[in-house]
Amino acid sequence: MSNYFKYFLRKFVWYLFTLVIAIGLNFILPRLIEGNPVDYIMAKVTKGMTDANSIKSMYENYMAEFKLNLPLWKQFMHYVAGVFQGDLGTSFGQYPRKVTEIIGHALPWTIALQLPAIVTGWVIGNVLGAIAAYKKGIYDKLIFPLTLFISSIPFFVFSILLLYGFSIVFEIFPSSGSYGYGMDIEFSLPFIVSAIKHHTLPFLSIVLVMIGGQGIGMREMSIYELNADYVKYSKLMGIRDSKIIKYVFRNAMLPQITGLILSLGTVIAGGLITEIVFSYQGLGTVMFNAIKGRDYPLISGCTLIVSVTILISSFLLDVIYGLVDPRIKAAQTEELS
Amino acid sequence: MKLLSVQELKTYYKTRFKEKIVAVDGVSFDLEEGEVLGIAGESGCGKSTLALSLIGLFAMPLCYDSGSIIINGQDITQLDKETRRVNVLGKKIAYIPQAAMNALNPTCRIKNFIFDIMKEHHPQMSKEEVYHLAKERFKDLNLDERVLEAYPNELSGGMKQRTVIAISTIMNPDILVADEPTSALDVSTQKVVMRMLKSLMKKKIVKSMIFITHELPLLYHIADKIMVMYAGQGVEFGTSEEVIFKPLHPYAVELMTSIVVPEVGQKAQKLSSIPGAPPNLKYKIDGCRFAPRCKYVEERCKTGFIDIKYNEERMYRCLLNRKVVDEVGA
Repeated sequence: MSNYFKYFLRKFVWYLFTLVIAIGLNFILPRLIEGNPVDYIMAKVTKGMTDANSIKSMYENYMAEFKLNLPLWKQFMHYVAGVFQGDLGTSFGQYPRKVTEIIGHALPWTIALQLPAIVTGWVIGNVLGAIAAYKKGIYDKLIFPLTLFISSIPFFVFSILLLYGFSIVFEIFPSSGSYGYGMDIEFSLPFIVSAIKHHTLPFLSIVLVMIGGQGIGMREMSIYELNADYVKYSKLMGIRDSKIIKYVFRNAMLPQITGLILSLGTVIAGGLITEIVFSYQGLGTVMFNAIKGRDYPLISGCTLIVSVTILISSFLLDVIYGLVDPRIKAAQTEELS
Repeated sequence: MKLLSVQELKTYYKTRFKEKIVAVDGVSFDLEEGEVLGIAGESGCGKSTLALSLIGLFAMPLCYDSGSIIINGQDITQLDKETRRVNVLGKKIAYIPQAAMNALNPTCRIKNFIFDIMKEHHPQMSKEEVYHLAKERFKDLNLDERVLEAYPNELSGGMKQRTVIAISTIMNPDILVADEPTSALDVSTQKVVMRMLKSLMKKKIVKSMIFITHELPLLYHIADKIMVMYAGQGVEFGTSEEVIFKPLHPYAVELMTSIVVPEVGQKAQKLSSIPGAPPNLKYKIDGCRFAPRCKYVEERCKTGFIDIKYNEERMYRCLLNRKVVDEVGA
């Protein structure tokens, strides 16, 4: 067995260990929020009811149904057993829907919003950064302050500005939702057009912020690499400029890969606020509502998905880095010896 | 046969504030086939700039002003950029950089770098042919051929330096310019590298060599002739015996006496150094550039242009005649 493989085996065990801790925290943390979820449900259900006894028995029924009358450790055992069977429990707030079902409905919307936005923003940001570093002059004077400006605006402010500008002042795009009101999810032209229209503003708000951050990073890295000794030596050996630029940008890209994969890791949680601002029906909105309603199983379910994606992307980051950068591969294999 | 003739070469750095720093100011010398020319001088005297200028690759901030670099009868400063890149770089004149440690692309295998170089200069050669050539050359220079498969981070400092030397000379350039190839290495690795450079000459892989260093004892080892540089000018030119043992220019004299040779009881002695600092090359300098630091300075040294003087086959840039320097120096 090669050292390289051993390294990943050990890393994998560590990630597994982290996952176990994450599951524990996912269970505990929502339950530390003040307030009892059943109170929230009762407040809704018992509106107009006066019979104290029946209210009490309803309350106890809910407590038993949600297993909230059991001691915490027993609840945890039930939770863990459920997780390993792929059952994340029943939502309190949207009873009797299953948590997996709710997440399953919201997840595609989040991914459809975030994934293209992150990838587009990353690609454009890197290209702009590279151009600014290589062409210098007017390009740099234009691109650098622009990316700096964009990336220093908090993205939720940016969402609100976009919302105000393009949906209130100029009524080009709808202000909330994922598709037109009263529409059914179906594969038809009006629905797709409507979905794209609703998609545009949240998409833009993520893309632009991504462009800013990545553009700055790429510019700095490219400038550093362009001044490296190997660039001068390659020139002195008569290698053409276009080839040298390939060397430079490949090397400058390496730290940017971290940026991409880490963003992909937060693909689910990263758009939380954007989704809330645009009332987009993704996981962010689901999680926000779950927290408001003390919906323990739903909060735990969402955070579990977030933890798992982050762990997977970190693990992938390790693997990919070893493949593209021999220096990191060397460090990884040395760690064991 | 005269292989290289440099005449009144003048190059400068352009700063961000559009100032000109003339780092090489009217340097002339000839290099015969089979000769090793050593260039000595303190840091900042223009040695490395001269080396870069000789390659004929003027990339910002280094700019060409005037003068000629004639290799085999062809003035390479007159060639257009593309011709120079394809026909001169690495083929007629090759360069070994000062910090070979970082001269290799960290994410490129050595063999792939060699492929890239050869593709520029000999596009008709197949990868197999290039690989074979590189393998033979590495074997010839006592380098492990496994290095070809390695990434730079897998090589030690000395190994990297030797690899860079092998890569630089892979196309059998007429002239090799080595810019302080040993200054970052420990003493025993220095010897290995020096031996390698000498074997390049012996095996006729390179015809002539220009060896730049601030370590004078090394120069005596390898150089046939030595040029001493001061503030962008050549101030003395002669055979290595003459320049090291009987220097004529006051700066060369000071430089040679500042060589540290280990002796008993030396710790207690003060290390001698030349007082003062070299002039700022941003400004035009009137008179001898060494005059402010020279022990023998006379009033006439301080104005006008001091030209190279020829005296008994020796060349040096000083108004004082040899006798005067000898007397005071003794």
